Amino acid sequence: MSKPRRDKQPEFRPGTWLLGTGPESDIAICTRVRLARNLQDFPFSPRLDEAEAQELYRFVTQRLQKPGLPEALTVLDLQPVEELERTVLVERHLISRELAGSKKPSGVAVDLEESVAVMINEEDHLRVQVFAPGLQPEAAWRRAERLDDALIARLPMAWSEEFGFLTSCPTNTGTGLRLSVMLHLPGLVWSEEIDKATTVAQKIHLAVRGLYGEGSRALGDFYQVSNQVTLGRDETTIQSEVLLAVGRIVQWEREVRSALLRGSARVKTLDRVHRALGTLERAQILTSEEALGCLSAVRFGIEENLLDGFAIPAVNRALLLSQPGHLQRHSKELLKPDERDQRRAQLLREVLGCQR
Amino acid sequence: MQFCTACQKAMATIVIMDLSDGAVTGSQHLCQACAEQLGVGQPKPPKFSAELLEDLLGQKGSRARSRPSEACSGCGMTPADFRSKGRLGCPRCYEAFRGELVPLLLRIHEAAAHRGRLPVPAPAAVVSEDDGRTLTDVRRRLEDAVRGERYEEAARLRDELRRLERGDAS
Repeated sequence: MSKPRRDKQPEFRPGTWLLGTGPESDIAICTRVRLARNLQDFPFSPRLDEAEAQELYRFVTQRLQKPGLPEALTVLDLQPVEELERTVLVERHLISRELAGSKKPSGVAVDLEESVAVMINEEDHLRVQVFAPGLQPEAAWRRAERLDDALIARLPMAWSEEFGFLTSCPTNTGTGLRLSVMLHLPGLVWSEEIDKATTVAQKIHLAVRGLYGEGSRALGDFYQVSNQVTLGRDETTIQSEVLLAVGRIVQWEREVRSALLRGSARVKTLDRVHRALGTLERAQILTSEEALGCLSAVRFGIEENLLDGFAIPAVNRALLLSQPGHLQRHSKELLKPDERDQRRAQLLREVLGCQR
Repeated sequence: MQFCTACQKAMATIVIMDLSDGAVTGSQHLCQACAEQLGVGQPKPPKFSAELLEDLLGQKGSRARSRPSEACSGCGMTPADFRSKGRLGCPRCYEAFRGELVPLLLRIHEAAAHRGRLPVPAPAAVVSEDDGRTLTDVRRRLEDAVRGERYEEAARLRDELRRLERGDAS
């Protein structure tokens, strides 16, 4: 089993999901393909006892490490990984919060760019995730499909002709495919059209969630739009449905942004962006919620050429370092919440280059 | 379209009809909010009725109800476990709880049969190879027919499905 390569995950690297490149990347931050897969002859992960979970983990990691996989993956055994490091992995979207909270034998296989992460023993035996910067469902899907082919060749997957891939939860049955696009929608939030946009998406069976998936709040005006239906629609249909809906939301966001920059609205928008920057430059105490709100406004300001002297990569780095796990790891100590808020304010000034 | 008879403000989207001996004796037009308040609305009405397909497939009272207390042979999950958690215990649960699972899948996905990628190329037709129709294929077309409210076609497909399930290729 490979040793955890913590040195390969320096905190200043944003991870593929936060590179800020790719098509439509001013609004569509990242595309993610997730495939739920299970092995025959094992109960699903929630029903595995300790010994079975260990056996499954060993079986999967051995097969994963055989040569010939289209991705160079390093297996990280999560059992010895401490809570803080687990939180960092969640913040980097490499593992889910559920997996981070699990005490069972489990792990994640990650590539160096953090664009592929295969969770082992989450709700399903395998949760394959592929990230592509910007709006690139097809590219992300092709890469996931290639990896899936290789996994199918080395692992006996559970499936049936009738139900497709068999998953622990019937909400994933069939393709096991969840295609999600992370969107930065400050325009829709500020012009109070976001509820309309989410309702429209939900009407066509797409889910709209916060930054960290199910149940999470839309911090920093980041939203994830994903398909809900996995059965009865093939992968191509799912892709085109998500692409169509996301395309419309992106268009909608562009329209409200331009309205926010016209006429009497413009000065209010400028005020909001500059107030946010002022807070980041001067505040001594910043909660992660406030920090993300300010960073969202600054990101909007940069994208719309309202601010000079700041670059998107610095904002992305700040977004990641504002999160509790990254903040504490960067500080090299565990901090109480009020200490974190002070450290966050200080760190964000450094990262954004507005230290005085 | 007409206004909601309860609040007189919103457009009515739900019509409640009183039936007596098959004849309509009265009707009430309600908006979603009022219908919910009156406890007659569905928060998210399904596009087509899962129960309808269930009835068509004759699964109510046959397969599902006839062996209600059988646990899954693969993992020992009981029907009660499955009902309370809404999760399957192992791949074999898909067969063990099929009777309850199919309506659940219909509610979640508005479909009960897979389309798309499989680990191997789709195997040759399970039954009735000569006309190229598999059980899954017929089930899919039955779903489509119910969704499209083409009930005559649906009934025909249901009969066909029964024939296929019995194994006598027609």
